Amino acid sequence: MTDDPSTTAVTDVSGPAPMAHPPAGPVTNTGVSPVPARSPRSKLVERSIGTIALVGTVATVWLGIWVTPPDRIQGDLVRLVYIHPGVAWVALYLAFGLAAVSSLLYLWPRTRSLFWDRLAAAAVEVGVVFSACTLVSGSIWGKPTWGVWWAWDARLTLTAVLLVLFLGYLALRQIPAEPEVRARRSAFVALFAAIDVPLVHFSVNWWNTLHQGATVLNPGLKLKIHGSMALTLLLGFVALTLVFVWMLLVRYRIGVLEDWLAANELDLALIERQSEGGGPVDGGPVGMGAIDELSTDRVVVA
Amino acid sequence: MRYVIAGYVFVLFVLALYSVQLIWRRRRLARAADLAAGAVISSNGATGAVTSDPAGEVVS
Repeated sequence: MTDDPSTTAVTDVSGPAPMAHPPAGPVTNTGVSPVPARSPRSKLVERSIGTIALVGTVATVWLGIWVTPPDRIQGDLVRLVYIHPGVAWVALYLAFGLAAVSSLLYLWPRTRSLFWDRLAAAAVEVGVVFSACTLVSGSIWGKPTWGVWWAWDARLTLTAVLLVLFLGYLALRQIPAEPEVRARRSAFVALFAAIDVPLVHFSVNWWNTLHQGATVLNPGLKLKIHGSMALTLLLGFVALTLVFVWMLLVRYRIGVLEDWLAANELDLALIERQSEGGGPVDGGPVGMGAIDELSTDRVVVA
Repeated sequence: MRYVIAGYVFVLFVLALYSVQLIWRRRRLARAADLAAGAVISSNGATGAVTSDPAGEVVS
């Protein structure tokens, strides 16, 4: 997170804004800000988290499929417990919870910063992937236990609604707007969507549902499984949490680079035009070649 | 057991695919940013333009 342009040490780039009728030839000063840098330490942290997450996930799969015993009632199907609640934990509580908190911090005047907006966007995108995994892995578990792939059960339906709401959040962010406008409207939508998170959590307590009650996050916080099964479940939670953190770091960096390219698109196009000896640039199409294609959603490296 | 395998394969495949996509997106954007910064260097000559070095660090 050290690569936020607002916090990165920036060399003085102040100078006159690009002129409406710039002279041809070399440009001696530009309004282009430096590319946000990443420190070696942040790269090391990211790689370390990624490595530990990978090892933890492999260990969870090995323990879950080959080491832990089958359940007395569910048989081998219980092995899905080592992965399904883990992805649900990441999607509901970590990703969408973080998105809600970040959005709140963006809307709060004292903490308003595009950092929170980028963090919320990164958390939602990763959360949507985990949320889809939750629904599909739950459906795969539901078929042999309930006899159907899908039931309009309270928890399943509310989880599906949550996924649709956050897909809407991601769609909203694609609408062209100033960064501040986009951040504000996205934050409101994230907070609205996050109302569904506690509904999903308490749905198994409030209504009669097919879905079983909480195994870990139950009202008394009493773990209802034992021994190697509990250890593997815990390891799965930790490993998937680290997977989430790694994905969040990478996705946040993508947001930083996207914003940098979008913010400097016009200046870069003007520079390219000037370096080509072009004439007046106001009012007409600007930029050619590689830089002409620099935008947040379509980048072509020539 | 086939449902168990299907569940694990689906989740792990999706997470792996998304991870690869994230890395690819970041690399593509970093290259585009470096390319743009390189264009600033070439247009500024040796005038001390602000841009990034090949390692992506800020230089002046």
